[in-house]
Parts: sequence; structure tokens; C-alpha cells
Amino acid sequence: MKATHRIIVYLGLALFYLFLLGPMAWLVLCSFRTSDSIQSGHIWPALSELTLYNYLEAFNLNNFPQLVGNSIFIATTVMLLVVLIASLGAYGLSRFPLKGKPYLMLASLLPQFFPYVLVLVPFYVLMSNLSLVDTHVGVILTHTSITLPFALWMLTGYFNAIPRELDQAAAIDGCSRLAILFRILYPIALPGLVVAGFFAFVVSWGDYLFVSILSQSNSTQTLPLGLQSFLQSLQVKWGLITAGTVIAIVPTILFFAVVQRRLVAGLTAGAVKS
Amino acid sequence: MPETMDTQDLAFQQPTAGAPKGYRTPFLVRLWKESFGYLLLLPALTIILGLNLYPTAYGIFTSFTDQSLLDPNHYNLIGLANYFKLFADPIFQLSFLHSLELTATAVGLQVVFGLILAHLLIQRVPGIQLFRSLAMVTWVLPIITAVVIFRFFTLPNYGFFNLLLTKVGLSQWTRNWFGDENFAFLLVLVMHLWRNIPFYAIAFMAAMQAIPQDLYEAARIDGATRWHRLIFITLPNLRYIILVMVVLHVTFTFNNFDFVFLSTGGGPVNATEVLPTYIYKQAWSGYALGYASAGGVVMLVVLVILVTICRRVIGGYETE
Repeated sequence: MKATHRIIVYLGLALFYLFLLGPMAWLVLCSFRTSDSIQSGHIWPALSELTLYNYLEAFNLNNFPQLVGNSIFIATTVMLLVVLIASLGAYGLSRFPLKGKPYLMLASLLPQFFPYVLVLVPFYVLMSNLSLVDTHVGVILTHTSITLPFALWMLTGYFNAIPRELDQAAAIDGCSRLAILFRILYPIALPGLVVAGFFAFVVSWGDYLFVSILSQSNSTQTLPLGLQSFLQSLQVKWGLITAGTVIAIVPTILFFAVVQRRLVAGLTAGAVKS
Repeated sequence: MPETMDTQDLAFQQPTAGAPKGYRTPFLVRLWKESFGYLLLLPALTIILGLNLYPTAYGIFTSFTDQSLLDPNHYNLIGLANYFKLFADPIFQLSFLHSLELTATAVGLQVVFGLILAHLLIQRVPGIQLFRSLAMVTWVLPIITAVVIFRFFTLPNYGFFNLLLTKVGLSQWTRNWFGDENFAFLLVLVMHLWRNIPFYAIAFMAAMQAIPQDLYEAARIDGATRWHRLIFITLPNLRYIILVMVVLHVTFTFNNFDFVFLSTGGGPVNATEVLPTYIYKQAWSGYALGYASAGGVVMLVVLVILVTICRRVIGGYETE
């Protein structure tokens, strides 16, 4: 009974993970194969067909390093901005008696449900009036605005769960109100801050929609736009695309490995009540 | 929650608490003290009001105008004309139908498969920790990379899927999957499942682990079968997290632009066109900003209705 139970569990897991990881593994494998090898119609390549050529080719494309640089710069800045602004706001919402707090909370969550395509048009007009089209600042502001509501909501939940006696004790010891946030709450809420930052990073890193209307030249294009233009080129070079895709995946996976344990607790913090 | 708010920052009032009777804190000091909470919220609120709520309100306004991308600063109010045109537009109707279809099937299947995977992941078998930690990998990838992964996997000539079909002797089944009218929509659905099922599973798993074990013990003593335990203990206890996940993903799926736009662009022959992609094209290829905004407003209204239905059907909110 116990053995059959185990076999059924492993069989089920195998089916799920074949579906989840199989297509990804195929892409990673092929990113190390020569173009001829990919087109040969063999599933398993010969050892001699393995190569790093696709990666070298990607980085030798004149705009590829810039795409990677833009993506890293934008996503990192968005992550830091969102964590800072959201934690300040969450501290305010969690620890101070504000008038109309439920409305503030609602206003901070509501945008999560707006169709992006509705926001897109006024957004573009607004950004062009502010001369922020095709600038890093414009893209960063945009990504900050789409990730901030959720981060604020999540961190407020996190801060609410931290006992207030801690900051009261610190206040009596002469800690200023801002110092309480940075010295007392930050260390305790670190897992939450990391998840909020991760969320902002991943959304910014993967965003195609907003960058596609705000970016009009190489100087602000990010990896998703670059990959899309590779896909649309007349002669699709799959070796190059697979390598480019792996490069776009690696940072999120590394970051994910760090936050993995906290991710779900964080993402559902607003949802799971104590 | 609000009751605790008033007593919580006693410590902050400490300095005035010891002041002599009749002493009034100077106005500026009081202002600084009392506005501090608002000041903390100011940057966040500025961004949310300025870059989320204002554009949305403006978008709703735009839907009543004939604004064009060619000259966005000159437009006329045209009342409901955009909406009348929209409802008579056959491709809009088709996209509308596709969006509803996709959202309903994707979310429905995600809940079912999420529950199954969660049930597998709570089993205490050796190595289960590895499966748990790997689970959410698909969710963190940029959507464009998910699209590349699936397009590459289903390539007509040398994609793994067709190679496999040929190997097992089903070469007559091979095709250009994303270019096939009958399969493109299915593939869009599969990509949604691929990305989101693990998120459901992990969230459900966490909620399952929080269900007190003695409930199951008691049920077992009373002779409840596996199914009884699932229906009368597990599901009722998961109600709230199911509601949260469903509302989240109804919104996500209904609003999702990237999967369709990047994989098929809405084709072949509108077979995968959904509201976000159709509206996007109206604005950025057709220059019809007013018309596109009207489509966006319809989406917003439909979304509110969908979320309300979900809350009604699943319930669970009242019990909290």
C-alpha cells in the first residue's frame, strides 16, 4: 500500500514536471547546439555538435549588450525605488492613524485590476507631455507605477504582523520615527522586502507592453523587445534566439533561487489573514 | 483593525504626555507630528494617483472622444459613438468571446490542476522538497521567454514535439502548431496553464498544510472516505485562498496582452485575437485612441462583473 502510494505520487509529479520543465530543458539544450545540429532533426545532439557559439554571437550583435545593460539598469532601479517608496508608505499605513485609511488601501489595490491597455493611451500622452518618451526615467517611472500598488499592499500586511511593542520600545529609547522604520522594521521585514523587490524586478524585467510604446530607440530598449525583434526577423536564427532567451532567464532564476522559500508567503501576505 | 490603530502609537505622544497642564503643543510641531504618517505615504500616493488613477480616469474620458494618435491634443467629444461602433464591430465581438473563453477555461483548469499538484506536493515522500522548491520556476520567467520556449518546442520542422510525433510514427499529426487555426488558441491556453498552475499549487499547498490534522482524524474515525474528506474538509478550508487565486488570475488572464501578442499576434485569421491585443492594435496601429479607450472601458466593466460573480459563486469572504 505504501509502496504503491509512493509510485502514484512520483508518477503524478513526473507528469507535471515533464510538462513544466520539459519545454524549458529543450530550449536550454538547443542553445548549446550549432544551427545545423538544431535543424538536423535529431533529438539528442552528438557531443561534437555542442558549442558556445550562439552565446558569443548574441554578445557580438552590436545592440545586444546594450539590451542586457538597459534591462539590468531599469529593473534594478525599479526594484530599489519600489522597495523604498512602498516601505515608507506601508509604514505610514501600518503605524499611523490616518484619516480614510480604508480608502487609501483600496486606492492602492484598485489599479491592480485596471486593464493595462486602457491605461496605456493616457500614459503615453502623459509621458510625451513630460518629454519622458524614450528615456530611462520614463520606463522606470512606468514600471514603478505598475508594481508599487501590490508592493505597498503586501508590505502593509507584513508590517501589520510585526508587534507594535517593538517600535514603542524603540521610541521610548529615543529612536526617531524614521529610524524605527530603518533600524527596527527593516531587519524584521527583510523577507517581505526581498519579495516585494523580487516582484518589482521580475515585472520590470519581463515587461513588454509598456516598453513597446515608450521605447523608440536602442538606447532604452530592453531584452523582451530585443527577443521579439529577433523572432520577427525574416530569417529567424533559432540558435541566437535560444541563447538570448537563456540569458534573459538566468537573472530571474538566480534571484528566484534566493527568495524561493519566501515567495508564496509574501505574495499571499495580503490574502492570508492571521 | 482600526480599533488598534488609535492606541498603537502611544510612544510617539510621550513628549507631550509629561507636559504641564494647559500647555499646548505649538502648531508647527503638531502639524509635523500629525502629518508624518501622510508624508510617509506621499511618494506612493503621488505615483498611484498620478500614474494609475489619473490615467485610468483620463482613459475613461478619452473613450467619449475621437482622439487620434496622429494628433492627440485635438479631439472632439462624440458621446457614446465609440461604444455603438464597438458593439457593431465583428472582430471586437470575436475578441470578446475569445477573452471570456480563455479566462474561464484557463482559470477553471488552473484551479483543478493546482489542487491536484498541491495534493501531490503535500505528500511526505523522499525528495519532495526539491519538487516544491522548483515549482514556481515557470511563474518568474518573462512572458516573452515562455513564448519563445513554446514556439521553439512546437516548430514545424525541428521542434521537439513534431520530432517526437514522427519518432512514434504519428508523422501525419505534425503541423505548424502556432500557425494552425485549430490549435493556436489551445496553445495560448496551454501557456497560461504552464505559467500559473505552480503558483496555484504552492498557494493551495500552504493553505492545506494549515488545516488542523485532527479534522481528518475525526473524519477517518467516523468512516469518511477520501472523497468525503476532500469535499467536506479540504475544499471548505481552501475557500478563501481559492477565491483569492481566482480573482487574481481572472484579472491577470483577462488583461493579459503579452501571451497572445508575442506568440500569434492574434492570428491566424483572428483565431486567437483577445480584447487586450485587439484594443492595442486599434490604438497603436489604427491610431484610434478614443475607440481603443472605449474598448478598455468595456474590459474594465466586464472585469468588475467577473470579479463580483467569482465572489458570489465561491463565497468564503464572509467567513473571514
